[in-house]
Amino acid sequence: MLHRSIVHTLFALLLLAFTGQALAEEAAARAVVEKLHEALLGAMKSGAPAAARREALAPVIAESFDFPTISRIVTGRYWKDASEAQRARFIETFQRLSLATYASNFKSYGGERFETIAVEPDQDSQVVRTVLHTGEDKQVTLNYLLRQSDGTWRIVNVIAQGVSDLSLKRADYTAVIKSEGFDSLVNRLDKKIAETEQNP
Amino acid sequence: MTDLRSPSRLLAAAVATLALAGCASNQAANGTGDPYENVNRKVYKFNDTLDKNIMEPVAKKYADYTPDPVRNSVTNFFQNTGSLNTIANDLLQGKLKQTAQDSGRFIVNSTVGIGGLFDPATSMGLKQHNEDLGQTFGTWGASEGAYLMLPLMGASSARDVTSPVMDLLLNPLTYIATVVTLPAGVVSTINTRANLLDATRIRDQAALDPYTFVREAWRQQRTYDIYDGNPPGDGYEDYIEGQGDAAVLRVY
Repeated sequence: MLHRSIVHTLFALLLLAFTGQALAEEAAARAVVEKLHEALLGAMKSGAPAAARREALAPVIAESFDFPTISRIVTGRYWKDASEAQRARFIETFQRLSLATYASNFKSYGGERFETIAVEPDQDSQVVRTVLHTGEDKQVTLNYLLRQSDGTWRIVNVIAQGVSDLSLKRADYTAVIKSEGFDSLVNRLDKKIAETEQNP
Repeated sequence: MTDLRSPSRLLAAAVATLALAGCASNQAANGTGDPYENVNRKVYKFNDTLDKNIMEPVAKKYADYTPDPVRNSVTNFFQNTGSLNTIANDLLQGKLKQTAQDSGRFIVNSTVGIGGLFDPATSMGLKQHNEDLGQTFGTWGASEGAYLMLPLMGASSARDVTSPVMDLLLNPLTYIATVVTLPAGVVSTINTRANLLDATRIRDQAALDPYTFVREAWRQQRTYDIYDGNPPGDGYEDYIEGQGDAAVLRVY
């Protein structure tokens, strides 16, 4: 009898450990997204000029997203044929583009707020479901897909109102690589960054 | 407009378009689901030229000079006249609860909401749904078929091309005198375009190849609508598996 209760206790402890682990992972994934949201709200409320907003957002964007994985996905089958130098340049350019885009889109505050709805673990990823409230009765669903890289949860995809940023960019970028080549894509992204940064 | 006013002719037009859609969906896809890309791109260019030169500037002026409450009322009004189409498609999709909700919505907004200018139904918990014939075909299991870029109307597909016909058939405004319908159509078009200014700003900001960008965004949006906001996995897992190289799903 004693023996059996020990087994039960051990089992329960083990289960608890696993659940605890899973809950910790969920909390970690949620924290990444909420920290990003916090930073975006900060940028909106600051009313600072674009360059200052970029500077403020840069560290958060850098640590929140898994840029190497994103880069590999959005360049599709062309990633394989790209040289190390081309890949490195793409990753660096894409990261600057993301920063410029966030800084340009989150520039003024009008009572918006983010709400985390749920965190759903899925095999080796986590989906953090959130809503951006932009006014009474107006909201945008923002779902984040996170994967673990180097022991840290990072965002690999943002699905806004059902539209996946990853597959949108992938379709767009691979169409450009196909007709103009890999280097031309990166040059054009560079131009996009300049245009976006000039837009105050 | 005049010869479309007779319901029997409209029906004939609907049947003809349906038949056309049937042919179109038999076309072999070229991997992008866009076998008519060459023609589609030309139509896109035409639409875009028209939009950049006329529609967008007009819509911007409209948005600048029309107070938000007025814009909301215009949007509400046309959403309300379009809701018979939503209700019919609720029914066709077997969504009985939603049929009842949207019927209640129509009645409340047409009466208490003064002919649809206001939307008291939403605050009563009767939220706006968005259904059309293309979505109905989608829920019945029809695949998208060939992607189509329609002149003036924009992105569509073999599955969706008949949607506007049913929309027109079930819109009360269709059966009112042309002197009313025509200006109403113009206002509706400008208002709709103005409501899309944010979306096109995002497109212009992000897209390198706007044609591909619009096709992809439209597709995903449609899937999202067909599944009422809960599409089964976006396939992102597949993109990521196999370290990217081996697992290329769609080849562009």
